[in-house]
Amino acid sequence: MTLPSTADPPFDPGWLDTLAGACRSLSASTPRLQDVYLERRLELRMSTLAGACHAEESRSDGAAARWRYPSRTAFHARTGTSQPALEDLLSRHGRRTDLPRLRPAAPAELEPPAGWRDWALRTLSSARRGHCTVRFLARRAVVVGPERWAAVACPPLVRVEVDGESPSALLAVWQHPDLESWLSELVAPPPARRWRPEPGLKVPVLLRSGTAGVLLHELIGHLVESDLVSCGDSPLAALAGAAVTALALDVADDPLRRDLPGAFSCDDEGVAAAAVQLVRAGRLVGWLCDRAGARRLRAADGRGRRASWARPPVPRLSNLIVAPGTTDPDDIQRELRDGLLVTRLGGATVDPLSGRLVLRVERGWELRQGRRRRPLEPFELTGGALDVLAHVEPAVGNDPCPDWRLGWCVKDGVPLPTGSEAPTLLVHHLEVL
Amino acid sequence: MSAPADSRHQERLRSAAATARDVLARSGPCRWEVFTKASVTREVEVAPGEPPRELEAEEMGVAVRTVRGGRAGFAAASGLEADAARRAIAGACAVEQELPFDPLPPLRLLAAADGGPVRGLPPRGWASHVGEQLETGVAAISGGRLRLRRCLFQEGTFSWLMQTGEGFVAAFDGTACSLLTEVQPVAGRGGVWREWHHVADPSSLDPAALARRIADRALLVQGRIATGSGLVSLILAPEVAARLLTALSTLLVVCRDRRDPLPKLLDSSGRLASDPLTLLDDRLDPEAPIAGPCDGEGLPAARTLLLERGIPRHRLASYRDALAFGESPRGGALRLSYRDYPSTGIANLRVSTEHGLPPADLLRDAGTALYLLRPLAPVLVDVAAGSYRIVASGVWLDNGRARGWHPVVELRGSLTRLLGRIEAVGTDLAWFQAERGAVGAPSLLIAGQPVMG
Repeated sequence: MTLPSTADPPFDPGWLDTLAGACRSLSASTPRLQDVYLERRLELRMSTLAGACHAEESRSDGAAARWRYPSRTAFHARTGTSQPALEDLLSRHGRRTDLPRLRPAAPAELEPPAGWRDWALRTLSSARRGHCTVRFLARRAVVVGPERWAAVACPPLVRVEVDGESPSALLAVWQHPDLESWLSELVAPPPARRWRPEPGLKVPVLLRSGTAGVLLHELIGHLVESDLVSCGDSPLAALAGAAVTALALDVADDPLRRDLPGAFSCDDEGVAAAAVQLVRAGRLVGWLCDRAGARRLRAADGRGRRASWARPPVPRLSNLIVAPGTTDPDDIQRELRDGLLVTRLGGATVDPLSGRLVLRVERGWELRQGRRRRPLEPFELTGGALDVLAHVEPAVGNDPCPDWRLGWCVKDGVPLPTGSEAPTLLVHHLEVL
Repeated sequence: MSAPADSRHQERLRSAAATARDVLARSGPCRWEVFTKASVTREVEVAPGEPPRELEAEEMGVAVRTVRGGRAGFAAASGLEADAARRAIAGACAVEQELPFDPLPPLRLLAAADGGPVRGLPPRGWASHVGEQLETGVAAISGGRLRLRRCLFQEGTFSWLMQTGEGFVAAFDGTACSLLTEVQPVAGRGGVWREWHHVADPSSLDPAALARRIADRALLVQGRIATGSGLVSLILAPEVAARLLTALSTLLVVCRDRRDPLPKLLDSSGRLASDPLTLLDDRLDPEAPIAGPCDGEGLPAARTLLLERGIPRHRLASYRDALAFGESPRGGALRLSYRDYPSTGIANLRVSTEHGLPPADLLRDAGTALYLLRPLAPVLVDVAAGSYRIVASGVWLDNGRARGWHPVVELRGSLTRLLGRIEAVGTDLAWFQAERGAVGAPSLLIAGQPVMG
């Protein structure tokens, strides 16, 4: 997979150099300018409507500036990235700001890729059940700081949502080689004669087809985000260096995995992307920080992410990667006498304060003597975060698999694309809700 | 209070719409609609011991719907300059698709009702002042056992203008204000109590009363644990009732599926719920969060009766969805941003409290009851299977007196039985945010519900 290179900024580089110079002078006085963020977005939507097709296009661009006063912080954002728009934005802290008169080259429009429309129409016609919506999402941005500017490149994404009796969704990087097979899985009808386990039942759960990545996105990824850690809300906050899960487990957050939806070339505070090891041999070794969190926790920054130009950056994970083990996943399944096999999760949440995890199972099987017996109805599993981590089986599958179902991650009401990849994992007990 | 809704944007909105009109007039014969919107959102987060964090975002843009030769398109572009209007029109023309009907409402259906009075917004500094009062109030009322964790004040002004090729024009300036408060115990982990409060009139907000309400509820979590089981009365506090109504809202809008689940849920007399439950989509209520003279397509704002004394009366639909799925257009389109196509949605779903009981009477009349105060998960309603699930925590009551705190209770069963046993609604209606739109719910008293300890 390829991303637009950082040498290919969405705005005129000469103009960005000029803007960086203006930021330098504004960061030397009070209030102090922290950074300026410029963004362009394109969203295309196609959906089925009473046997016909409906199409929409939305383009938006905007800019934001962050200021630090002695007793408060301020964030201003506005539509537009033109010179007058930026002068207006930078004047909102109370002092008129004039930028040098230049004639920057007009930024190129974000355009849909060739073949998008035909692909969307094919996808809509393949989803015969219920109402279907297909979206194409592209974003280019630049962070301008007092020292330099940095272009943020992200892969274009597609999201497919199917309504009806078995609603489901997909989020993937556009033109991912596995996209067509994932779409086939998405639109396949659920099996008949499904079974629902009894609420209150505590069972071993085998997580296959990348679903373990969703589990660890919640239990590790969110709980090491610096805003939760620095105020002590995360149950992992006091466990730096401690063994929190199976010794065989290595977990990292990697925005350089360009085949996954959470990829970026640098974060939305202008820090170059780099993988962060979170768990090494079962021990908690890293936090996910934005710049402010990195100062508080004395850790690496690089995870300040913005949902749009109108929202400030907050610490968020990118692509959660669980390193594969050496065990054949079929062997793990065979050795599990009775339990549940989960192949698709339709939702997952963790409440940091109570430490309670909830997984919404969309597809899976009852296992008896290691064999699939009855398909599962949608239901929920729950457990305490630390307890679930402590009950991960040391034998880790050798079958790393990306999750395509989830990824549109919402925290405090703010959605962002994320990705995950994980091998088969066994959790010794989760409770049926 | 500071100046009311910022109408300085209207001139720019009119100018952007005029540019769009000129470009569309030159683009050949077509029906069209232009929607321009500008909004300013301000957020102030106040947390004790932390510097206040302020956010201000100004967003504006143009959206265009076109219909020509049996093809329809929609596109939106940010900005109010001439270029934004041209980009939106080019986008709409580029994505036009064949449609077997015209999705733009005819002129005869379009009209603007009275949008109601424009509310004022609080002056700068108000958030910090209220935050300090809440901090002091929560600590005093709880005897130092609770502390304010944070307050998030959100306020905004917005203006929009809609214009069609047939000459219909509607415009509106509005404001919105809300407050999110979190309190937690001073000692120990957990127990964060979070309340979202729609502030219809900032000048009448009483921080002391708000601090008392939040602290009273949060202190219940600190009380002794009590569990119980059996067939008991259930009282859903407004927040829990609002979650239930949100989950039910799919039954109140146009059905896109071939198999409509609603008829299967009705009893032999066509009843979905018991007599005390009447539901409206109220776009005329001046106290409700979403206001305006018309819906997202220009049909006049109305109060639509959805459920009358338990019996379904009407279902909401946008004009396009009404044509596509065989409903009558009643102004059910919702357009929360210029970027959104005006689609079917409930704006202000509200329980009628005309025959409601004061909350104290409701609690007293319930006898032995479980009063569910705090939802712990989204209320799930499976309309196809006719089942529901509520996970919440609450208080056991004996004739109105609290016996103890039940930390987690899960209720599941038949949806029709739950709705059929609603005995009374309260008068304590409060507004809550739904995924799209708002829900106004009072306490609901439900008789004879099985509770497993």
